[in-house]
Amino acid sequence: MRELAGKLLRMDRRVIFVLIALATLIPLLHPIGFPVRVSPEVKQVYDYIESLPPGSVFLLSLDFDPASKPELYPMAVALLNHAFKRNLRVVGMTLWVTGTGMAEKVVSGVASEYGKRRGLDYTFLGYSPGGTNVIINMGQDLTAAFPTDHYGERTADLPVLQGVKSLRQVNYVVSLAAGTPGVESWYLYGKEKYGFELGGGVTAVIAPGLYPFLDTGQINGLIGGLRGAAEYETLIGMKGKAVAGMDAQSATHFIIIGLILLCNLFYFLNPRTAVRSGSLREAGR
Amino acid sequence: MAPSVLLGAWVAAGLTLCMFSFLYKDNPFFRFGEHLYVGISMGYTIVRIYYDVMVKSLYTPVMQEGKWWFLIAAVLGLLVLTRFIPKISWLSRISFAVIVGFGSGVAIPRIISSNILQQVQGTLKPLLGNTGHSLFGMTQVNALLILVGVITVLVYFFFSIEHKGPIQVAARIGIYFLMINFGAGFGYTVMARMSLLIGRFDDLILFASREYGYATLVLLGMIAFGLFMWERGSTAPSGPDRDSRVNESDVPD
Repeated sequence: MRELAGKLLRMDRRVIFVLIALATLIPLLHPIGFPVRVSPEVKQVYDYIESLPPGSVFLLSLDFDPASKPELYPMAVALLNHAFKRNLRVVGMTLWVTGTGMAEKVVSGVASEYGKRRGLDYTFLGYSPGGTNVIINMGQDLTAAFPTDHYGERTADLPVLQGVKSLRQVNYVVSLAAGTPGVESWYLYGKEKYGFELGGGVTAVIAPGLYPFLDTGQINGLIGGLRGAAEYETLIGMKGKAVAGMDAQSATHFIIIGLILLCNLFYFLNPRTAVRSGSLREAGR
Repeated sequence: MAPSVLLGAWVAAGLTLCMFSFLYKDNPFFRFGEHLYVGISMGYTIVRIYYDVMVKSLYTPVMQEGKWWFLIAAVLGLLVLTRFIPKISWLSRISFAVIVGFGSGVAIPRIISSNILQQVQGTLKPLLGNTGHSLFGMTQVNALLILVGVITVLVYFFFSIEHKGPIQVAARIGIYFLMINFGAGFGYTVMARMSLLIGRFDDLILFASREYGYATLVLLGMIAFGLFMWERGSTAPSGPDRDSRVNESDVPD
């Protein structure tokens, strides 16, 4: 057994890559259909959008680039579907220059599915330089921060922005963020001063750091990673890419947990490492 | 299907497979994909900045709307570039002074308010109890746990006194809280990386269909063949690219 443990500990790492690849591929080709449990923080975002009357202004800031697309793009699709279904006035924008094309595509793509007209029902403001300063500028005067939208139309003339002079008139802001500027920037430089309600959708890597903001009510809801996107898709009854990916996600987690447990077991079974850890204990005394 | 979409699918599938080829070992396909990625990202950023910043936020306001004071910001921006000319590089300090001064002035009060005061309030408030609510509910237990965590972690990072006696005990508890935090962070990071993998596999499966001319399968075969030929042509003796840490453990003590 100890010999086997030693051999397995020296296993080529490419075997692990193959295992992970299979665990990802098989559920994607043959979905299992694991249930998706909706967490309260995701439900809070959904509930807030549900509570908004038709015609309310919903600002979606797509603060990410293609590197985070698998996690945040499904969130954007789900949120836009929900907003258009609720007949909200949708304003899209981005604080990340490299995400501009992708952000425009998702906003206009979902809008066209609902037959929404650009300028009347929705707009995409595009990118404006300055990062967090853009948020401050939008809080003072939205048309000064974005004199024209992404398509070159004067924002002051857009029917969708009638009555919206600054962020104070925006009913709900959701930042889909893969880093900085993102949710925290929207809170620090936007919500705290201009008083709109703020929700977040973030990559799994930065989600743990935002839970303190959720607990204190600084953000009203949080959609975290692919799991959060799958939960939101479940809530709106639209099984999309996130739900489809959750089977693969669960399978890979199962493999990783199994490998961690096995490797730890083998580590202690291996005569060489057992002797070494024993000698270390001796040295510690 | 439009030829541009088909071409895009083949390029995307090919470059994805080039990047994945690194899992075998560092190779020319990976290096090609990596360099192309960096170049295209930079090229895209420059084009967007030209239109969104230079044209939309500078040229149009100045030339068409007469907002000449926008030139002050432009000059400050240009001064940063004087760093490349040693004789006048001191001029860049003016721009940096404005950036640092403005940035700090805006950020410091907000960070104190949001990341310190409101977080302290959020930590303590649930413990003070609300009218009509039990003082010993689960919310209070959670709040107490968070409070213990915050205090013990702070004690651990308090290096002005020696960690002895009760301080050592508190610091030790703080370490456990930190470990739980790191564990949660690692778990989420694994989830994020797997999500990225799922996203790429999703596209590769799509591009493997007949509609896209079996792009994934054809390119996978080509890259595998290319790697095989590259290995054969390699003059240096090559063995399995093992993890160096594993090799170290093989050496007898």
